[in-house]
Amino acid sequence: MAYSDKVVDHYNNPRNVGTLDKSSQEVGTGLVGAPECGDVMRLQIRVNPETQVIEEAKFKTFGCGSAIASSSLATEWIKGRTVEDALTIKNTDIVKELSLPPVKIHCSVLAEDAIRAAIGDWKKKNGVAETAQAAVAAK
Amino acid sequence: MLKIVDSAVPVACWSCSAAHKASALFCSNCSKIQPPPSGEYFSVFGLRPQLNLDLDALERELHRLSRRLHPDRFARASENEREWSLADTALLNDAYRTLKDPLRRTEYLLKLHGAEIGEEHAGKDRRDPSRVPPDLLEEVFDLNMQLEEMRSARQAGETDQELEKNLVEAKKKFDGLLEEVDRDLRAQWQAWDEGDQAAREAAQKTMAALLDRRRYLNNLVRDVTETLGA
Repeated sequence: MAYSDKVVDHYNNPRNVGTLDKSSQEVGTGLVGAPECGDVMRLQIRVNPETQVIEEAKFKTFGCGSAIASSSLATEWIKGRTVEDALTIKNTDIVKELSLPPVKIHCSVLAEDAIRAAIGDWKKKNGVAETAQAAVAAK
Repeated sequence: MLKIVDSAVPVACWSCSAAHKASALFCSNCSKIQPPPSGEYFSVFGLRPQLNLDLDALERELHRLSRRLHPDRFARASENEREWSLADTALLNDAYRTLKDPLRRTEYLLKLHGAEIGEEHAGKDRRDPSRVPPDLLEEVFDLNMQLEEMRSARQAGETDQELEKNLVEAKKKFDGLLEEVDRDLRAQWQAWDEGDQAAREAAQKTMAALLDRRRYLNNLVRDVTETLGA
């Protein structure tokens, strides 16, 4: 199976690889995994407490090219957005952008889960109530 | 898509029209070769679906059937029969390879019962947190970080003794965890083979989770071994 050019580009030049200080009040950390392929993905955000804008996003992924590309793209997309806005990103957007084949769709799911987990962690740390959207999803 | 075809429901032999088992490679009446059966792999060997298998008996049966199916024996047979001897042989070999391997056998049996296993089904149960134990995830991530550190240290021509010692320790630990998972799997085999419907369903669920855990651990052990051996 051939990877799309965009996947190859993100794989060769991953954006925003790195680590943020997990203990910082402004940082949210999401660690997710896909048992089907053994991939693990950590995505971190640093949120401006005044504006709730994600000013920095870092990731570290151990997995296949699609998983790395999905998380790399995810960090690019959430940077500069508010946390609420970032939550609107869907895995299908990632699939489209990277032209992921069906067998690699779970990589995009993992990236969406990582965004949600990181934002969830930040909200918990900062005592931000779950949004209406999340409340609906929990029902 | 796999499904359990009831191999007890007979089909008619193309040659003598006698009814024989749908899973049979040969007609029980006239002994003529039959087209590749549509049933599952266990029935090809005349077995009911089960997880504890006598592997020696399985191999003996493979050899016996292989000899009977050998294309040389059909050199003068009809074109259909010549084709079937090849197709049946391929099916028999696929069945044997799947059943002899404990993990592939377990996955196959779970798939027969509707489990969605494999990368193409990934992400479907993602809201079920029990599928990915968080403590294991942390450990997997940390170990991957250490592995990466060690690889880049090596590339720079350095050896970090402390790091290598850690990794050897980690490998030991994960090897132990793998053994534990395999022991648990075997216990579930027993539960499945001997259980009623409810017990089987419970065992299937447990086995699917164990296989997930095993995949994580296995990847880790493989990566650690590669890095340490490099």
